[in-house]
Amino acid sequence: MTTVADIETYILRTGLGDRAAFSSLYSATSAKLFGVCLRVLNNRAEAEDALQDVFIRIWQKADRYAVNGYSPMTWLITLARNLAIDRLRARKAPAKPIEDMVDLAHSGPTPEEAVVQSGQDAQINRCLDALDTRHAASVRGAYLEGASYQDLADRAGVPINTMRTWLRRSLAKLKDCMSQ
Amino acid sequence: MTAPDDHNDDIALVGEYALHLLDADSRAAVEARLREDPDLRALLRDWDDRLVRLSDEIAEVPPPARVQAAIEARLFGPEAATERGAPARVWAWLFGRRGALFGAAALLAVALFVAPMAMRAPQGPMMTAEIAAQDRALVVEARFDPATGAIDLTRTTGTAATGRVFELWLIADGADAPVSLGVLPDTDVAMIRVPQGLREQMQGATLAISDEPTGGSPTGAPTGAVLAAGTVVAS
Repeated sequence: MTTVADIETYILRTGLGDRAAFSSLYSATSAKLFGVCLRVLNNRAEAEDALQDVFIRIWQKADRYAVNGYSPMTWLITLARNLAIDRLRARKAPAKPIEDMVDLAHSGPTPEEAVVQSGQDAQINRCLDALDTRHAASVRGAYLEGASYQDLADRAGVPINTMRTWLRRSLAKLKDCMSQ
Repeated sequence: MTAPDDHNDDIALVGEYALHLLDADSRAAVEARLREDPDLRALLRDWDDRLVRLSDEIAEVPPPARVQAAIEARLFGPEAATERGAPARVWAWLFGRRGALFGAAALLAVALFVAPMAMRAPQGPMMTAEIAAQDRALVVEARFDPATGAIDLTRTTGTAATGRVFELWLIADGADAPVSLGVLPDTDVAMIRVPQGLREQMQGATLAISDEPTGGSPTGAPTGAVLAAGTVVAS
């Protein structure tokens, strides 16, 4: 079982140019990071390309990991998500070949996993549940799928400025709730 | 000191940044502030820490093996992908054979000049190489345009020792000897033109940088340490 401390060690050693540690880091974290890329891009080929970029960036930036104060999985997931969204935003046409579409039924947590995860339910989920349902869905959509303001406005059927106001208020409330 | 209103604005702004909701300009503006402001960085770290828990619900999906192979090929050259963990053969090759190479290679004088990279739009497929030291003390990104024969070089890390220069070498796949492509200027960005006869050999070739006296190697083969190397791959 790989622990958080192991992952941190792999990152630090990767920062020193240790290829074996980089390989161990890949083995330990690539499935989660691929899941993150798939969720944003919803396209296997693109998610594979994004995952390549993620690990190349990890190799390049690992030497600066120690000074940024992030916990290892937060750093890795944030990096993966940001690169996947960069790729999503750079798409020229939103075309998604049908055969490449990811079966979303397989990318959600299994009931078993969901139970384990909800056992230590994150504060952010409790705080999101305290928001208006549509506002909470917008925050989740932005985080999990990398939805843009335009996407979120279209989904909710409101003007983009309304969505922006909702979102910013939701963020202020969330921060308040999580600070308590 | 920031006023409370500004702070509240920043909470939402950095939250929007963390969610990746800002347009490119606003995003760049926040990044500029993040570089300067440790409090803002702490705020972002807090958002990232909180938001990351939303990804708890994302299931793990093992990626196909080809992804890891592609990553290692991009970082360490094609040999690394098939022979993971083996010592970098390029280095052994360069160091082991350097002594035997004197006189074997004809020095090709090539024109070298610096040009803004943006002036030429790429036509068709490009090739790239990351020419990097094992400890990454020297890293040069190379981008080769087969249509024009130009290699654009961007040095991101490392400088030549005082009174010394960096010289760029091409070792074609299966070639006996490195061929000089020229001495790199002091600037971070440079362009080197690959002679017509060598352009066909770029794919899969190794680009290496050696430490040389001012003016470049007097012998036509590397005389100083080989500091960095990387494989040219189609991008």
